[in-house]
Amino acid sequence: MSRPPELEPRESEAEPREADVLTEALGELRRAILARLPGGAAARAAAEDASIDWFALFDELRHRLNSFGMDERTGEVDEFGMDELAVRRAEPLLEFLRRRYWRVEVTGLEEVSSTGPVLFVANRSGLLPWDGLMLSHLVAAAHPEGARPRFLVADWLITLPFVQPFLARLGGVRACRENAERLLGSGHSVVAFPEGAKGAAKVFRERYRLQRFGRGGVVSLAIEAGVPVVPVAVVGAEEVHPILFKLESVARGFGLPFLPVTPTFPMLGPLGAVPLPSRWSVRFGAPLDAGAFDHDAARDELLISRLTEEIRQQIQAMLDVELRARESVFA
Amino acid sequence: MAPRTVAITGLATFVGRRLTERLRESHPNLQLVGVDRRKPYSLDLSVRYHEVDLTDPTADSRLAEAFEKEGVEAVVHAAFRRTPTPDLETDHELETIGSLHVLNACAATRVRRVVLASTSMLYGPWPDNPNFLTEEHPLRGHPRAHCINNRVEVEEIVARWSARHPEAEVTVLRPCWVMGPRHVDSVVSYFEPPVVPTLLGYDPLLQFVHEEDCLRVFEQAVMESHPGVFNVVGRGVLPLSTVLRTAGKRALPVPAAILYRLRAIPSQAQTGDPPEAFFDYLRYLWTAAGEKGWDAFGEPLYSTREAWASFVSSRRMRRYR
Repeated sequence: MSRPPELEPRESEAEPREADVLTEALGELRRAILARLPGGAAARAAAEDASIDWFALFDELRHRLNSFGMDERTGEVDEFGMDELAVRRAEPLLEFLRRRYWRVEVTGLEEVSSTGPVLFVANRSGLLPWDGLMLSHLVAAAHPEGARPRFLVADWLITLPFVQPFLARLGGVRACRENAERLLGSGHSVVAFPEGAKGAAKVFRERYRLQRFGRGGVVSLAIEAGVPVVPVAVVGAEEVHPILFKLESVARGFGLPFLPVTPTFPMLGPLGAVPLPSRWSVRFGAPLDAGAFDHDAARDELLISRLTEEIRQQIQAMLDVELRARESVFA
Repeated sequence: MAPRTVAITGLATFVGRRLTERLRESHPNLQLVGVDRRKPYSLDLSVRYHEVDLTDPTADSRLAEAFEKEGVEAVVHAAFRRTPTPDLETDHELETIGSLHVLNACAATRVRRVVLASTSMLYGPWPDNPNFLTEEHPLRGHPRAHCINNRVEVEEIVARWSARHPEAEVTVLRPCWVMGPRHVDSVVSYFEPPVVPTLLGYDPLLQFVHEEDCLRVFEQAVMESHPGVFNVVGRGVLPLSTVLRTAGKRALPVPAAILYRLRAIPSQAQTGDPPEAFFDYLRYLWTAAGEKGWDAFGEPLYSTREAWASFVSSRRMRRYR
């Protein structure tokens, strides 16, 4: 096996002296050879530069091996697993998707200049949570301090291998009340998709038809946390992964709720995860000041379901407007 | 009011042994009573030792006798396996029925404070867990981990006993994975080798508590009045990948379908449970919310990262000695 570790310090003390002698000798030899070589001073200088300091390299390598235990990389994450570094690395890609790929047109974001946390409520579309990623990117880009809202992700996505850590590092959080409460309570904005799995799993002919909004959880959550609710309509995300039909019997074998069949998946395998380049428009609606309600209102079921329905209709109306204004899906 | 005599069950366990040492030093006037089925090699002479096997059907009356004789006022129940054994039957007798015996003995004597050493692993790794589990969250355990399920049962027994005996103060402490220079259990032994098997495609957030913080909380729970259930965790979370990288360990990602069919994973081979009983804890979230514990027992000295660093540096020193 390896040498006894006690020997190492002595050896490293002895090494530089030996090394100095050797480098000097080698350097002299090199100069002597260069002086006899034909060619100008430039070639000589180039040859000098190209020489590698083998001893420095060796030392560096040895140092790396020795400090292998504790290297400087940290990978700090916040308490929900978001990694600032990963977000910063993903930023250029998201910016590319926004400007070039999906050419996202944003309206109404200026009015959401609230300093405190906000609960964004959007229509869920597209199989993978591209809409959540893009919405949190848009809001963070417009925010004066770059505060990034967290987007909630449905259970069935969060349990998938590879998807879960990837989404968590970029600010995705499992959609459940406890998480949303904690996020809003600690001052983070949240992007929620109250349609839940029903929204993501819509087949193509049901596109842009809002599904039922859970059980009114969003509104009671906002009232309890005292944050405004901003309805958001996302048009275009529905076409990034158009689900032609769903295979349910096959999916059960894989432990999935359903197996989507899109134009690219599963035919192209992993390439099916690449979204299609549809043109997006994102419209932020007028905020509903849920903080103005009494705290007890969070338990008033009739009020909650009325407000939920109001928000739902507001989003549906915005969707209809955007859809009518849209000339083509991709151009 | 601080108790004058404290009994600790399970002297060979981490909590039992280290808490005895700690109380010995911090409270010289405190009378300590130790209960175990074999006398530990390094037991302080001032600890009154009683040999009781909790799997013995008459353990409750023998314990009661001992508690009565010594005038025990507080009991720390820590006689739980640090590593599960393949002997499921004995594990169940020791942990579940043994706890019943201890509680019966407490009820029969003048014990007015019971501290239970539980663990936040009892919440179980479930894909539908919220990111932070509070003390009110149901204990769902793990369907295949027999020791975890025994201890869920123990918590139920303790909760029922506590309702029937309002005169006694019951504190349930649920530490997460304990890290530090001295603590060893099946979880720690998983993290020991330089190459660690992980689940391909999963990178869960982990949470550690340093042994020093854990013991301090136990000490406070015994000596002061803190009835209730508390998670005992360090601040912050770390992804498994970061944990391994900062320690210079290599992850060996294995697909779950293969890993769950293996039997010979060193840290898991002797536990009597299939690999998922442990590896599900590296698959899904089970991080606990620590606010309640921090409010009651004060800020932990070590964060998750520092607890991990303490473990790693201690192991490094040991290896190169």
